[in-house]
Amino acid sequence: MESASITATGQATTDDHHHHGPPAYHQSARIDQTVLGILLFILSEIMLFASFFAAYFFIRVVTGPETWPPPGVELPVLIAGINTVVLISSSFTVHYALEAIRKDNHDGLKLGLVLTWLLGATFLFIQINEYIHIGFTPRDGAFGSIFFSLTGLHGAHVFVGLLLLTFATVRAFRGHFGPAHKDHLGVEVPGIYWHFVDIMWIIVFASIYIL
Amino acid sequence: MAHALKEPGWYRAALGTVIGAAFGFFLVVGLRLLAGLDAFQTEQTGYPQLVVPLITAPFGFLIGFGAFDYWFRWAAGKPTVPDDHSGHGATRWQDYFTFNTDHKVIGIQYIVTTFFFFFIGGVLALLIRAELAQPGTQVLDANLYNGVFSTHAVVMIFLFIIPMFAGIANYVLPIMIGAPDMAFPRLNALSFWLLPIAGLIFLGSFLAPGGSFDAGWTGYAPLSTGAPVGQSFFNIGVQFAGASSIATAINFLVTIITMRAPGMNLWRMPLLVWANLSTSLLVVGATPFIAGVQFMVFFDRIMGMNFFQFLEGGNVLSYQHIFWFYSHPAVYIMMLPGFGIISEVIATHARKPVFGYRLMALALLGIVVLAYSVWAHHMFVAGMFSWLRVPIMITTLLIAVPTGIKIFSWLGTLFYGKIHTYSTAMLFSLGFIVTFTVGGISGVMLGLVPLDIHMSDTYFVVAHIHFVLFGGSVFTIFAGIYHWFPKMTGRMYDERLGRVHFWGTMIGTWGTFIPQHWIGLDGMPRRVVDYATQYGDWNLVISVFSLVLGLAQLVFLYNMVVSWKWGPKAGDNPWRSKTIEWLVSSPPPTFNFDEIPRVVGGPYEYGTPGARHAIMGGEDAETSVPEPKPSTVAAPS
Repeated sequence: MESASITATGQATTDDHHHHGPPAYHQSARIDQTVLGILLFILSEIMLFASFFAAYFFIRVVTGPETWPPPGVELPVLIAGINTVVLISSSFTVHYALEAIRKDNHDGLKLGLVLTWLLGATFLFIQINEYIHIGFTPRDGAFGSIFFSLTGLHGAHVFVGLLLLTFATVRAFRGHFGPAHKDHLGVEVPGIYWHFVDIMWIIVFASIYIL
Repeated sequence: MAHALKEPGWYRAALGTVIGAAFGFFLVVGLRLLAGLDAFQTEQTGYPQLVVPLITAPFGFLIGFGAFDYWFRWAAGKPTVPDDHSGHGATRWQDYFTFNTDHKVIGIQYIVTTFFFFFIGGVLALLIRAELAQPGTQVLDANLYNGVFSTHAVVMIFLFIIPMFAGIANYVLPIMIGAPDMAFPRLNALSFWLLPIAGLIFLGSFLAPGGSFDAGWTGYAPLSTGAPVGQSFFNIGVQFAGASSIATAINFLVTIITMRAPGMNLWRMPLLVWANLSTSLLVVGATPFIAGVQFMVFFDRIMGMNFFQFLEGGNVLSYQHIFWFYSHPAVYIMMLPGFGIISEVIATHARKPVFGYRLMALALLGIVVLAYSVWAHHMFVAGMFSWLRVPIMITTLLIAVPTGIKIFSWLGTLFYGKIHTYSTAMLFSLGFIVTFTVGGISGVMLGLVPLDIHMSDTYFVVAHIHFVLFGGSVFTIFAGIYHWFPKMTGRMYDERLGRVHFWGTMIGTWGTFIPQHWIGLDGMPRRVVDYATQYGDWNLVISVFSLVLGLAQLVFLYNMVVSWKWGPKAGDNPWRSKTIEWLVSSPPPTFNFDEIPRVVGGPYEYGTPGARHAIMGGEDAETSVPEPKPSTVAAPS
């Protein structure tokens, strides 16, 4: 597909009779294919979260227990709040990395990516610690189920985001990427996904911990 | 041998499957032993040592098969293999059993695989009818019967109708819009290979302890949360089929949006492209809901969570809400691509432009929007919020408006057309219009709350769904297969056998499903292995007609196989169609075009002298641009 990602008009390849690859497709929209693809994927991810939020709504509002969270459960709002700050700040560092490579600043790219990776890993580390010390399990009532499912689903997304960032970081240290748009898609696309993970955390945090 | 295990292919795939299964198995057993539990857990909802390998083995298979090779190299920052396109095209039948990234090869893979599952689903259906031919239980015991009808529905929905449309569109859609391939060819191949995995998981559940999943294709909680381990096979299989669906939908959307030929603006897109655009919007938005809800059931079953356990504060009814929020849009996922096929076939074989082309496209989008607002009409008797009933009834009835637009537009297209009834594709389209209209009207009846309360869980519902899914979707699939068969194979099928197939299918469909309306209104419940003797006569009639329906499909199978091998050469454009896929050779060359065509007009300008849809590369643009006035075309040059 890489070879196909060159814009061409209809008569580009007529004189090349030894050309056995596909003819360059006609680009009928300005948006890049990979970017559009990740945006649509994020749309379906939002709907996956929405299905769990629907379950959350039914358990909390429709079933309507008298106390929420159940008696005896104290959610560590402060720690989760600090964790939120950690994750949100990683959105800024990944944006910094992208802006750096746009200006051909490879050191800035590496710095931004490494910082983002560390912040994301810190978030995941704190989250796992919270699971260990929280005092209830997924089996403890519907509250336990929805708490661990929503935060766990989000944690899985952080993990996937970290994997994508790992790939980008490895490639950044190997000297890949450049200021042209098609040369730093490998930073931009994981970045878009990472922003989605961050925004989704704000929603999860607000509905689980604060509301 | 060692070399064969290093190269992507079936040997490495087999090795990967074994490693994947072993990894899952020892992960579960190891963790359980570490936690001080018994190595094996054999509660009927548990069996983690069986269920977890069911998830890891397919990944092992895909890795071994080479699905991720490119991405692994990319992720590690290694130079990716330059695309030499050796994975493109198929010269031998063995090429169809590789991880091939050519959209036309993938299209054929989809179509053949889904027909394979169609015949399996059909055999299951005939087993059901054999059991129901007489009151009492003769062929299947009650448990097996439940498993058989559940698997029949799941195979037909997730492995036949939905992926079949993806397969047909995979083949023709990129050519139709003038693209050399899909936007993400590797993702496309991955989407396909997820399907047989899902199918094997569904069918494999018959071997599970306690038998196949038997809670219906809907798998309602709490029936499913307490069911034997076969139900977990359903939970997992749906994830693979759903992921395949979503990936394909994203691929279609990106392809349609970014890869159209120059001149093909939105209002020059063939209606099949519009239909797949709409369907893909539904898939991307709705399919995650079934993934989510099957995860929840899976968590309840395997991890002892409490999403649907009333005593623990769970909400039982939330299953149905979330499930139908996917599964009602899913019926449009199973119908809209068919609408697109019918528009293509009718315009071509009636030699007329599609009547009300823009409204046809807008009606598709209207159905997409409305589809998200009608889920609860499956739950009128489920004890849901009573205030939701009337709003949902109204939106349900509203869907009849865009659907009606489409029906009348097809009739308008046929009106004064030169209808080619000798073509089997056209026969199936005409049969579709009649049968689907009947199914649509019984749908309106079921959408009315008072009638629905009376008819819930009766054979009337069974009759309705089969009229719209068999008389609707499956008829459009046959129409599409017959229409594009010459393009895909380069050969012509036997129209005489096609007519036998059509009339057998038509008579079989009506004979099987019309009496089900009557016994349904009489009160015969669905999903039961035995029934009151008063329904015995009609059930015997239904079973006889279902056999006719089944035998007619063997005619189709014979026609397709023999014509593919020995049929007469079809030529590039046997139907004299205008859309781009007919302007390339049959079958099309590996990358469809040497040069991207230019689109200069609408896709259905039949009957307008000199009107053209597209100019192919190589044609001299100066002389072949059509003159705007017909008179100059008629004048001798």
